[in-house]
Amino acid sequence: MSRPNTGEIDPKDTARAEIRSYAIGFVASLLLTGGAFAVHLSGLSVSWKIALICAAALVQIVVHLRKFLHLSFSGEQSREDLLLVLFSVCLLAIMAGGTWYVMADLGERMHQSGMDGAPMHSMSAD
Amino acid sequence: MSRETSPIVGRLDWTVTPYTDLLREVNSSTIVGAGAASVLVLGAIAGVVLLTWKRWWAPLYRDWLTSADAKKIGIMYIALGLVMLARGIIEGFVMRAHQASALGTLAQPESGLVAPDHFAQLFSTHGTIMIFFVAMPLLIGLINFVLPQQLGARDMAFPVLNQISLGLTAVGAALVMISLLIGKFGTGGWTMYPPYTGIDFSPGEGVDYWLWAILISGVGSTLTGMNFAVTIFKERAPGMHFMRMPLFCWTSLCVAIMLIYAMPALTVSSGMLVLDRYLDFHFFTNDAGGNMMNYANIFWMFGHPEVYILILPAFGVFSEISSTFSGKRLYGYTSLVIASMSIAVISFTVWLHHFFTMGQSAGVNIAFGIATMIIGVPTGVKIYDWMATMWRGRVRITTPIVYLTGFFLLFVIGGLSGIILANPSIDYQVHNSTFLVAHFHNVIIPGVLYGMLAGIHYWFPKAFGYRLDETWGRRTAFLFVGGFVFTFLPLYVLGLMGMPRRSPTFQNPDFLPFMYIAAFGAVLMLCALAALIWTFWTSYRNRLSLAVPGGDPWNGATLEWSTPAPVPEWTFPRIPHVVARDDWGEAKRGEDPWKAPERYDDIEMPANTAHGLLIAGAAFAFAFAMVWHVWWLAILSFLALPGLLILRGMMVIEPRVISAAEVEEADRRFRHQVANLTPVTRADEETELNRGVPDVSEFAG
Ligand code: HEM
Ligand SMILES: [Cu+2]
Repeated sequence: MSRPNTGEIDPKDTARAEIRSYAIGFVASLLLTGGAFAVHLSGLSVSWKIALICAAALVQIVVHLRKFLHLSFSGEQSREDLLLVLFSVCLLAIMAGGTWYVMADLGERMHQSGMDGAPMHSMSAD
Repeated sequence: MSRETSPIVGRLDWTVTPYTDLLREVNSSTIVGAGAASVLVLGAIAGVVLLTWKRWWAPLYRDWLTSADAKKIGIMYIALGLVMLARGIIEGFVMRAHQASALGTLAQPESGLVAPDHFAQLFSTHGTIMIFFVAMPLLIGLINFVLPQQLGARDMAFPVLNQISLGLTAVGAALVMISLLIGKFGTGGWTMYPPYTGIDFSPGEGVDYWLWAILISGVGSTLTGMNFAVTIFKERAPGMHFMRMPLFCWTSLCVAIMLIYAMPALTVSSGMLVLDRYLDFHFFTNDAGGNMMNYANIFWMFGHPEVYILILPAFGVFSEISSTFSGKRLYGYTSLVIASMSIAVISFTVWLHHFFTMGQSAGVNIAFGIATMIIGVPTGVKIYDWMATMWRGRVRITTPIVYLTGFFLLFVIGGLSGIILANPSIDYQVHNSTFLVAHFHNVIIPGVLYGMLAGIHYWFPKAFGYRLDETWGRRTAFLFVGGFVFTFLPLYVLGLMGMPRRSPTFQNPDFLPFMYIAAFGAVLMLCALAALIWTFWTSYRNRLSLAVPGGDPWNGATLEWSTPAPVPEWTFPRIPHVVARDDWGEAKRGEDPWKAPERYDDIEMPANTAHGLLIAGAAFAFAFAMVWHVWWLAILSFLALPGLLILRGMMVIEPRVISAAEVEEADRRFRHQVANLTPVTRADEETELNRGVPDVSEFAG
């Protein structure tokens, strides 16, 4: 592997180390996914289940970014990587937040609100 | 619609062609339908005959279809875009001809050239084609051709991925084309809103054609975006800092970012609609908890950034040509960079203005209305920058400048009508009327279409080694400007008078004069199309007298003008060391800009491969099988996709090495030729004296 952006060989970075990093990422992803299923099957209360699954999802994102996409916040590329992450988070927040804002408002005007004020998407399903 | 699904050919049978419609009933609508199918069939046969007769099959395969060279891929994208443009313009003309004859009465509302359902297919294919298979291929093609050359790179970061993207885009276009002959296209407009396009109301194959064309070409565009972004971040020549990049590279970067973040939204909304239609999901149905308004929400999360994806490359082109043809440095470089970046970000915050009338409360509308008006500011900044660039320059009225002038005059009108529409209370009055149709054509044609045609004219010599004929180029440009004015300005008035968009008929005789003017404009547009084709043809015939082997016909300032025309496969004999913004212009101020490099090295180029073709073939088979419910073929071709990827992953692929001797030989020949050609002054730029070597003493930019 060469150092990012230079084409120079990095002596510390051997093929073994690279495979190890991928393997760690793979195992961690498996555990986090399996863990989410385990939480769902467990007897915890619903809010605990949701919180734990969300947490597992977020950790999973970090694992992917670090181990598979080689994002790092130290070294030559840290600034670019940081900008990239911030920009992505910003756009995703706009899209997800905007959707929430718009659809919740529409839902409210359609008298669709569920008990917690969020739009309820299963009106006549059952 | 209770056709049986056969296990072998799915829902295909002999009744799906427009010829069977024609046999069933002969009227102007079925004649137009069968005629269009015949044009497609005859065109395909003519193409095959021509290729066979000229023995072009092998060169086509060897030099083009299997090439991974970004410049060739770019040219193929543009060729695809121009072919589809011809169909789109003809469809526009048929629609205008229809509406000019569509005055109905209350007792007998249906009249005119084509049947209402046929009209609906026309605006749906026209919109889909113009956005996804004209504008997108043109701009992606232009960026592919120009970006690496301007950055001082030999190729894109991922050449084979680039080939695959082209293949996937072509698959989408092919699906729309084949729907002329086999079956029907959807009737839900280019946005295909459910619940109308859900399985209950549109059970046939039409919407599926749209969905698979969009899904597959959408993946291609997303990959293209990543390719562009990585190329700009990683492949710049040494010394090419961000703030030294030509403005076209900056707008390409914005486009890349927007492609990466916006295209997935389209993939998601189309994917959800696919699930609704094929697997009985209820994302967007009326019942069972579906919410069709979320489709509009997700679609426009893509849709609005998309319009800036379309316009930003044109802004890049205008930045280059305004500077080159007035012989001046670009005014306000930094402000243009900031404006482009702001547009890229703000364009993600305005999507709701496409559905102000959906029923959300006024507060929500106001928030998005204000955001929409704000985005006009950076665009305005840019217009002033270009005008300031030309101010007091010695402007040569070449074809690109005619387009630029048309753009100045017309785009501002379209932008202002957009600001008007950004006011929700006004939008409530005119939305879904032809006022809107006038608005978006008013930004798309003078913006995107003129920009791309200007860019093609500007960089054509770099690709093929000869200039395009200026007289016919200017005639084409004038026809496109005049055609636009007559076709679309009347639609503003019609919209205010109450003519709805997408309407196959109307009953108010007062509309008729405007319809006639618009139809006349559409005739001019057809003439413009013919003039465009003629420009290419006549320039090809006069290619010897128009040849510019020196490679710098317009006395340009950016790196791509330092190489021969046509540009060799390896682009630069050695990767340049960039010392300034507009590096080539800087070299012209120093001593001999055409100095040969001291040393030549072997050059590695990506080897030709049929990988892109194979992927495209499998993707087409998959999509076609899904549209017609041919399940066995769908499964096979879907499995072929990962199969092909794995196969290539396991092969050892050697790059093609071009020896230093070969590069040196070609490069020395070029330098020798330049030294022996007489430099041409700008005043003689359009004459035969222009051999591509400009008089550098005139360079002031
Ligand atoms: C060149 C001459 C052109 C003509 C004569 C033309 C004509 C038309 C007509 C008659 C309609 C239907 C209007 C209605 O719904 O009442 C239409 C719709 C549309 N046109 Fe064009 N057009 C032209 C060029 C373009 C170009 C260059 C683009 C984009 C690159 C474009 C994009 C669209 C779109 C997106 C729609 C909306 C389709 C829909 O309703 O879903 N058009 N055009
Ligand atoms: Cu918009």
